[in-house]
Amino acid sequence: MTPWHSRASAAARLSALSVVLWLLSGLAMPAPALQLTAEEERRILRHGPWPPASRPDPSNRVSGTPAAIAFGRTLFFDPRLSVSGTISCATCHQPDRAWADGRTRSRGHRTVERNAPSLFNLRFNRWFGWDGAHDTLWAQNLRPLLDWREMGIGPAGAARLVRSDRQLSCGYRRAFGAAPGEDDDLILVDLAKALAALLETLVTGRTPFDDFRDALARNDAAGQARYPAAAVRGLRLFIGRGNCAVCHFGPAFTNGEFADAGVPHFIEAGRVDPGRHGGIRRLRSSPYTLLGRFNDDPQRSTAAGTRHVRLRESAFGEFRVPGLRNVALTAPYMHAGSLRTLADVVHHYSTIDEERLHAGGERILRRLDLSERERSDLVSFLETLTEQPRRPVVRKPAHVQCR
Amino acid sequence: MVRHGRPALAAAFALLLAFALPPAASQAAACARPADWTGGTKTAGEVWTAWWRPDPAPIKVSAHFSIRFHLCGPPVSRVSVRGWMPDHRHGMNYRPVVALNGGSGTVDGLLFHMPGLWQLILGIRGETARETLIAETVLE
Ligand code: HEC
Ligand code: HEC
Repeated sequence: MTPWHSRASAAARLSALSVVLWLLSGLAMPAPALQLTAEEERRILRHGPWPPASRPDPSNRVSGTPAAIAFGRTLFFDPRLSVSGTISCATCHQPDRAWADGRTRSRGHRTVERNAPSLFNLRFNRWFGWDGAHDTLWAQNLRPLLDWREMGIGPAGAARLVRSDRQLSCGYRRAFGAAPGEDDDLILVDLAKALAALLETLVTGRTPFDDFRDALARNDAAGQARYPAAAVRGLRLFIGRGNCAVCHFGPAFTNGEFADAGVPHFIEAGRVDPGRHGGIRRLRSSPYTLLGRFNDDPQRSTAAGTRHVRLRESAFGEFRVPGLRNVALTAPYMHAGSLRTLADVVHHYSTIDEERLHAGGERILRRLDLSERERSDLVSFLETLTEQPRRPVVRKPAHVQCR
Repeated sequence: MVRHGRPALAAAFALLLAFALPPAASQAAACARPADWTGGTKTAGEVWTAWWRPDPAPIKVSAHFSIRFHLCGPPVSRVSVRGWMPDHRHGMNYRPVVALNGGSGTVDGLLFHMPGLWQLILGIRGETARETLIAETVLE
């Protein structure tokens, strides 16, 4: 398809006159290095606008409610939610470390198998965790509360704590409109739902890339010129020869699905992380899914993915495609933190082992053999996905008497 | 191979495999759009002709969609549906479910998770024939 053809079909954005001028300028002089083709423009535009529209999560009856968000904030920083009384969510998801912990693999009571992801933009996800073992944000929040290596308080411990502590039971009542009841499982799930209400508020702010993208959308040359040339070159690689945007698709820079990015997935000698394959199996054996009794939506209107997900052999060793907003703040990278910097990530894609990668037949990633300048351009682009200004950090709430 | 740049599922159909019955071109011409539809795409094979349309339309990258279809031709006993990206050599991460009611039906649980060229592959089976129809669409 020629650029001309697709320009014409996107006529709403460009007058015929400017097409002609563009054509003439292209004929009259050598094409300027940063002149984007219509195809490139289209591909760039689909990474916005930001932020996208969102709505409350129908599977969580307190999604978006201020009382639940406040209660979730209390819970997030409370180490009493661990069996030892020493570990809170904030141990591994530190607000001033972009909600991650800076470690390769996280450590609670024990070191776990994976890297703690940041907690940005989760409300746009379909699947949660590196292996997508959870189909809601609240179900994902249950995992550390149930896993002894992380916090492991469990349903009985959590219910006892909430019933006996006056502040927590007050917060619960405010958020859910009733005192904690008899069903321990239900109380634990409700805590996870209040935490989800908090995490839904963590949407990244506007970035230099968004300003460039929107300037492109309204044909504002001055606005486009403010974006660094190296970032434009990196962006072209990202949407073009690098093929990155096939997986890192859309406004959040993820298609929300799973892929093999050629990252080794040994946990230790003789033990591998099954990735998505194990995630689907865990999903199917969990009582805490959109198909179970804890879904607050009688219509099950968001359960299509859970109902139809397919256990593929190729899912073995696949991990969720991470979103890339604020990625410069969340080192180290990949599911087990195996790559230290963004330059290391780009180097990885540049030198990827095709033979290993294509064993399953899929052909998306290629060894890119990028030059040094191309690699640094790609890093420059990724750095423009950082919000500016940084949004204020969510802090542990001051002690306020809940009545 | 015909490729359409339109994001809607304006599809080109190719006949892959047909046997047992002689070509029935008149049957294809006679296959009318179902009365209560607007839009939709018509696909003529050797044995069957399909009208079908996605819901919601157009199909978007990584969003669940369903398909309604109507088949003209001999009685149908089974329809299967899958998605395939020929350039990447992978299919969908989801297993669609077909509900067949006479010559019509719906397919739920489809999701095309990447931009690029997708094929929607309909496997149709009757008493004496089977046929595979392939629709192609480029998602942006
Ligand atoms: C021991 C460290 C640790 C603690 C404590 C911890 N997490 Fe995590 N968190 C992780 C790791 C590691 C992952 C990745 C898990 C995986 O993919 O298997 C993760 C994943 C998540 C995710 C999924 C993010 C995504 O991108 O899908 C959410 C949400 C989350 N944690 C919330 C919480 C909440 C809420 C708490 C407190 C109840 C908590 N975490 C406690 C380490 C921790
Ligand atoms: C086939 C899909 C696919 C393509 C194409 C792809 N990625 Fe990725 N990307 C992934 C997956 C999956 C991961 C996580 C892999 C893991 O943890 O094992 C990832 C991880 C990353 C990360 C680390 C993010 C984090 O938070 O840890 C960055 C940065 C990244 N990719 C950038 C790129 C760039 C730049 C390109 C193009 C050169 C690219 N990706 C192409 C699927 C893809």
